[in-house]
Amino acid sequence: MLKKLLHSREITAFAFIVLMFWGVGMINPAFLSATNIWLCFNSSVVFTVVAIGIALVIITGEIDVSVGATLGMTATISGTMIRDGQPWHMAIIAALVVGLLIGSVNGFGVTVLKIPSIIMTLGVNGIVRGLIYVYTNGKWVENISFDFKSLSQGRLFDAITYFYLGALVLMLLVHLFLTRTKRGKYFAAVGDNIGGATLLGIPVDITKFKAFALCGILAAVGGVLYVSRVGFVTPIAGNGYEMKVIAACVLGGISLSGGVGSVIGASVGAAIMASISRVLVFVGLSSDYDNTITGILLIIIVVSDSLIRRRAVEKARRERLAAKTLHAITDGKGATHSA
Amino acid sequence: MRKLQKLVVRWETFLVLVIVLEFVVFGTLSPKFLNLKRLFSGLNQFIPVCIISLFVTYVMITGGIDIQAGSIVGLTSIMVGVLWNDAGLNIFVASIVALIAGALCGTLSGFFVAYTGVQPMVVTLGGSFLYSGLALAVTNLSAKEAYQGISDFPEAFRALSKTELFGVVPMQFVIFIALVVIGYVLLHRTNYGRKIFLCGVNPNAAEFCGINTRAVIMSTYTLSGLSAAIAGILLTAYLGTAKADMGAGYTLPIVTAVVLGGTSNLGGSGGIVGSALAALAVGLLRIGLSLNGLSTQYLDIPVGILLVVTVSFRFAGTNPKLRKLFSRKKRQTVISRAG
Repeated sequence: MLKKLLHSREITAFAFIVLMFWGVGMINPAFLSATNIWLCFNSSVVFTVVAIGIALVIITGEIDVSVGATLGMTATISGTMIRDGQPWHMAIIAALVVGLLIGSVNGFGVTVLKIPSIIMTLGVNGIVRGLIYVYTNGKWVENISFDFKSLSQGRLFDAITYFYLGALVLMLLVHLFLTRTKRGKYFAAVGDNIGGATLLGIPVDITKFKAFALCGILAAVGGVLYVSRVGFVTPIAGNGYEMKVIAACVLGGISLSGGVGSVIGASVGAAIMASISRVLVFVGLSSDYDNTITGILLIIIVVSDSLIRRRAVEKARRERLAAKTLHAITDGKGATHSA
Repeated sequence: MRKLQKLVVRWETFLVLVIVLEFVVFGTLSPKFLNLKRLFSGLNQFIPVCIISLFVTYVMITGGIDIQAGSIVGLTSIMVGVLWNDAGLNIFVASIVALIAGALCGTLSGFFVAYTGVQPMVVTLGGSFLYSGLALAVTNLSAKEAYQGISDFPEAFRALSKTELFGVVPMQFVIFIALVVIGYVLLHRTNYGRKIFLCGVNPNAAEFCGINTRAVIMSTYTLSGLSAAIAGILLTAYLGTAKADMGAGYTLPIVTAVVLGGTSNLGGSGGIVGSALAALAVGLLRIGLSLNGLSTQYLDIPVGILLVVTVSFRFAGTNPKLRKLFSRKKRQTVISRAG
């Protein structure tokens, strides 16, 4: 069990976040206060939810770069409805429906029209961004009721916000779905080996469609949380989130070629992404370096991961070759048969 | 005759038709569109995208993707400004330094793509964070406030974009055409170009042919970085200000232009002429729509739709179920006609 845990890919990301907190704590002890660490995690709630959604898509071997626009659109819609005094549940349902709709459009394009996902979602991203301007006329959505905003401040034991707790429960549910149920296991199967999955009779297209639809819904959840946390919505809300959550997934050990990784990793990655700007402040650097550090981290982690894995593959191959030769020496003809 | 037939069914011919159609439609809608001076001045804003898409084509032919070009535009722009304003370099020396920096940025990403086997999407995602972060860092070196940008460039530099050939054709457009010719010759008429195609079709075969695939792949990213630097300098000269966030949001139009131009995102096929024509078509669409009163913020909607629709035409044929659906319909109509 312990060995399995140590070999899991999330552990690298988790070790990294511990190391980062410890390192910053050495430089500035104020960082290691409980309040501050909870703040780091609590502030990652929007990233976490959206990263879980995009992780589903990436695990099936596709990509979705429209989540930022989906988040912006759903935040705009739910924000407007709440501002205009509509009941909250209606606003939330409207946001979820719009998220589902955008996700379904992506899924339709990728599974039925067979458009490469990066191109499809890039196109949808542009369209939805434009539609946000059409919907708002470029105006900000402000004057969100105080009650709704204070939802994001509710805390359990004065530490973890209910929102983040909810995100963690969601993460656990999705994780159990992916690892314990039949249909959940299809996701990784499709991403790992699409040909094999097809031959086994797994509904490849339906699984991919589900992934995109769920991703859209989770981006919508992120949009609603965004409204409550930030308290106003600009037309460019969520701009660049798609890149940040993809980076979070990659940092959390999810491979963009599909089949490898878990939503737990994605959540840890999201926490790293959200903490970097806080870390910079505590180290005494301007948060302008946020992007630089993110970029360097991303490249270093991914490149070293790839090199380590390549070495492991080569080692395995060498061992197999050695075993084969040994076999050939010890029982002559048998080797040619087995080969 | 066969040659003529071949010419007619070519994708590039279709793009030329699209451009002609745009001239007819927008020309009748608003006569301003046919005013060459106005047309070129509108196109000036879009020339950077056209230039970058030429060389991102190279990257996509090798099977990669480049989403960092936009941030290299910002980086080179602010570098020119800071080197000239704060370091006191001659403006053209500063431009050359920026060109070299752009090429180096491309090479760095290309190195990671080619030599470590990490997916191009991840590396250039990291690159886009890194270079946009570096651009902000460079901004902080300047004495001027970031939001103002650096302006008041010498006339000799601004002449790069202000000079007009024969009184109408702006210098930027001339540079673009020159780059099309260079790009065409390099890709379609030299050994190096053949190697790029082979790397995209089958990298293993290319390796066995004695081609240094890694160096070839890396060089394509160098070229795209260099083209982004050229675009950044031209944009700075045209707008007269150097800013770090120039080129943000270029990814959608660049990828649209390249994919619309007939280059496959899986690598192995494509061409410069297609990309150039597609980039012009997208640019003219934007100008035409904005001349007819569509606000610039909405322009991503038609561009996104254009991308999704054209690509769906090309890829829908690869879905056997859809093909069956359509062929059955055809057969039914044939039968009903016969009946």
